[in-house]
Amino acid sequence: MTGRAGTRIPLTICVGLLGIAVAYPLGILFLQSVFPEILGGSFEGFMDAYRRIGETPEMVRLIRNSLAWAGATTGVAWIFGIPCGYLLARTDLPGKLWARLSLLVPIMTPPYIAALSYILLMQSGGFGDTLTGGLPEGLRAWFFSFWGVTLVMALSSFGYVALAVEATLSEIPRRFEDAARLLGASWHQTLRRILLPLLLPAILNSGLLVFLEALSNFGVPAVLGSRSNLPLLPAEIFYLVTSWPVDLALATSLSSLLCLFALVSLYGSRWLADAFGGGAYRPGAMSVQRLGPLWTLAGWGFIGGLFVLSSGLPYAAMILTSLAGSWGEGWPELTMAHYATLFEPGSRGFEAILTSLWLSVAAASVCVVAGSYIAYVNIRSTGWLQSALEGLATLPRVIPKIVIAVALILAWNAPWVPIDLYNTAFMLLLAYVVVYITDTLNYSNATLWGMSEHLESAAEILGAGRFTVFTRIVLPRLRPALLAAWLTTFMVCMRELVASLMLMPPGMDTTATYIFSQFEQGDISLAMAMATVTIVISTVVLALFTLRRSHGARAGARALGEVEG
Amino acid sequence: MTHDDSPFLEARGLVKSFGSERVLRGVDFRIRPGERLVLLGPSGCGKTTLLNLIAGMLEADAGELLCEGSRIDAPAHGIHQPMRRRGFAMVFQDFALWPHMTVAENVAFGLKMQGLSRSERSERVRQVLTMVQMEGFADRSPSRLSGGQQQRVSIARALAVRPRLLLLDEPLSALDARLREDLKGELATLLRQSGVTSVYVTHDQSEAFTLASRIALMHEGRIEQIGTPEEVYANPASTFAATFLGVSNLLPYSRENGHFLLGDRESLTPVVLNGVGDTAPADGRLMVRREAVTIHEGRDAPSDSIVLSGICRRKDFLGDRHEAFVEVEGGVTLRGFAAPGIVEGTRVQVRFPPDAVRFLTH
Repeated sequence: MTGRAGTRIPLTICVGLLGIAVAYPLGILFLQSVFPEILGGSFEGFMDAYRRIGETPEMVRLIRNSLAWAGATTGVAWIFGIPCGYLLARTDLPGKLWARLSLLVPIMTPPYIAALSYILLMQSGGFGDTLTGGLPEGLRAWFFSFWGVTLVMALSSFGYVALAVEATLSEIPRRFEDAARLLGASWHQTLRRILLPLLLPAILNSGLLVFLEALSNFGVPAVLGSRSNLPLLPAEIFYLVTSWPVDLALATSLSSLLCLFALVSLYGSRWLADAFGGGAYRPGAMSVQRLGPLWTLAGWGFIGGLFVLSSGLPYAAMILTSLAGSWGEGWPELTMAHYATLFEPGSRGFEAILTSLWLSVAAASVCVVAGSYIAYVNIRSTGWLQSALEGLATLPRVIPKIVIAVALILAWNAPWVPIDLYNTAFMLLLAYVVVYITDTLNYSNATLWGMSEHLESAAEILGAGRFTVFTRIVLPRLRPALLAAWLTTFMVCMRELVASLMLMPPGMDTTATYIFSQFEQGDISLAMAMATVTIVISTVVLALFTLRRSHGARAGARALGEVEG
Repeated sequence: MTHDDSPFLEARGLVKSFGSERVLRGVDFRIRPGERLVLLGPSGCGKTTLLNLIAGMLEADAGELLCEGSRIDAPAHGIHQPMRRRGFAMVFQDFALWPHMTVAENVAFGLKMQGLSRSERSERVRQVLTMVQMEGFADRSPSRLSGGQQQRVSIARALAVRPRLLLLDEPLSALDARLREDLKGELATLLRQSGVTSVYVTHDQSEAFTLASRIALMHEGRIEQIGTPEEVYANPASTFAATFLGVSNLLPYSRENGHFLLGDRESLTPVVLNGVGDTAPADGRLMVRREAVTIHEGRDAPSDSIVLSGICRRKDFLGDRHEAFVEVEGGVTLRGFAAPGIVEGTRVQVRFPPDAVRFLTH
């Protein structure tokens, strides 16, 4: 049964669209991993690839490394983020606005740019050496190892933890703590028995976000992992697909395992949150801890130190490199020549910026149009088709981008596909939409859940048709959410790396692939100039976003919270 | 050291400000052991602030608070005993039950903090849950209880630790009217039987009358009047006390040659008060409770009553009787209970006994 009369056809259309865009590629990917010869029309070699993984010690180590690294990143992000969240929510720390902004900067910085900048800082003969007159070799060795790579990833994602912890801590009513203190609990006991269990869902949810981000991140493993003798799953899958000899069977089975880990961690963290924490409560007034001058200093030292590490140092390295004229001993001469090269019409860099801009604008627009309609159809219908739609819409939230990219290659390269989408920029557009439609769905759902169906009934009873109801009643209510969704999607598309690298037709570049390839085998200064330009564009868009909605940080935190919802 | 008259809790000149707003302007009171003091007053009078000060959530700016003779809050001496050391318990308006614990875990929390053994804890939990008739709900999550049930658990949690002092912050105000009425009676019985010393904050006079052994009526950061419910009701010390408790007629008066002149300066109604007002101040307000005033058609008044004549302007049916508003000469309106036959717009008689009259100067 459908919830409202006449939603069967739109529902079928939505399920069909998402089926082709998401379910079909992932299905092919999974089949290919189980039957390596399926695209040739044969069922030979059942489970061969998985057997190979199990029997190769390097593969087992690779998987263990990836999980350990993602886990370590989560742990470090908790150590950084939870105190930040507490300082912001529950103390009288001065200058909280600046502290919050300092958390947003690393979130806004693409992790691969942070990693590249850190390489410039830490490598032999890099900025670190110039600044200090030679970094200790022990520090350098430590940085280019498991923990150094962990640190860079954690620095770029601890902000999620801090914002989620802050949001939850600001909602836990102080009564809960007062009641415990009155009954004789010490500060420590109150923290352990009252605050921590109530905070656990936020800690786990944000931790899950960091874990998934680390597990599926391509950029940091690709640029920093490879220099630190730390092979990690996404990068290895990438090399299996893109470099000779191509091993699709191994790539797809590793991809399937990556999805499995992602799903297990999603359901695992939900189970943990239900089992050990939570419980519903109404938000209430909270207590604020007064910090003495010493603790204020310590608090700012902590937040400021994290800012220097997460943003200050990498940004300095990035901007200085982009302005550096010639390399030699000591400080280089400064020049705008690299920027001039980038903006020279017809140059590769300029073309890359234009490509990224139109792709991002197109992807964001398609996402907003399709996503809002799918979200609306989903929320106003019931039954098994709706469950299917909901399931399909949830998939891209969890499936790593690299896996979606591999799946799209397989699906649109298959012998039975009549149109030649692969090797055109439209392939990339499709990938962006599949990967990022989640944002629009999240933003739309948040608004739609709070919207009474009576608003639509009131229009229908006055004679409005289904289409009129959607355009005249639903869309105007969704407008703020959709604006936010459009800007978010635009920003993440502008910096998307892995799908762009894999799906971009030869001879074309996006800003991200340009940075990546210039850094690896071209002009590092050009790469960093492009990185700076990308971040400036993102920041301008974010500023617009914040001007429109004054509670930028809160909206961001809420959107993050919905990722798990 | 405790003989009968020594107070359990004593406040001397407590002052508290939030920013430039003076919320408590010098509060004094004494509570004897076993007493149930109700802090009664309109919102913004400082009663909740006073309760939070007693609990230790806030520190006083000036004055001191003593419990069993020792200072627990005395800014002049730099003393502020943390709330966890006071041995008090509190029932909150919004229940404040921890959502991640079951009912039994909530109730056992304070006992665990006191270091009671597991068996003692479960015995005590069972006891208090039975006391509040929630014994069947021990393993439920608080979020699956109704408001009334949650408040019972909250009361059980506070009573379980056998507190030296039980603080209740408008515990019934989050419940709907019917439930409030039921729980009020139960709570009164519970407090009386357990013998626990308690301070109860409310803005509802019927709660105060039911629950209090003494009422402290608060107004604008001060205790306006303190006494048993009967005393405070019968002899309000001020205009505020008279209007906040019950329904009263308050008539401006002045005295001239043994006569009382009621009403405004321009048109005064002379009244003879049959000797009661001899010691009354020269001018002020004369108060008569509504229930002391009766309104009749007849002209033959009993000789011991004060009688005024006027026009009935309005008559309302209250359910068990009628209330009428009568405009007497001089433009003064009195309200009282009316005989059923009274007709609006007709001339009637207003009567009240002289001993029902009180004189207020402020």
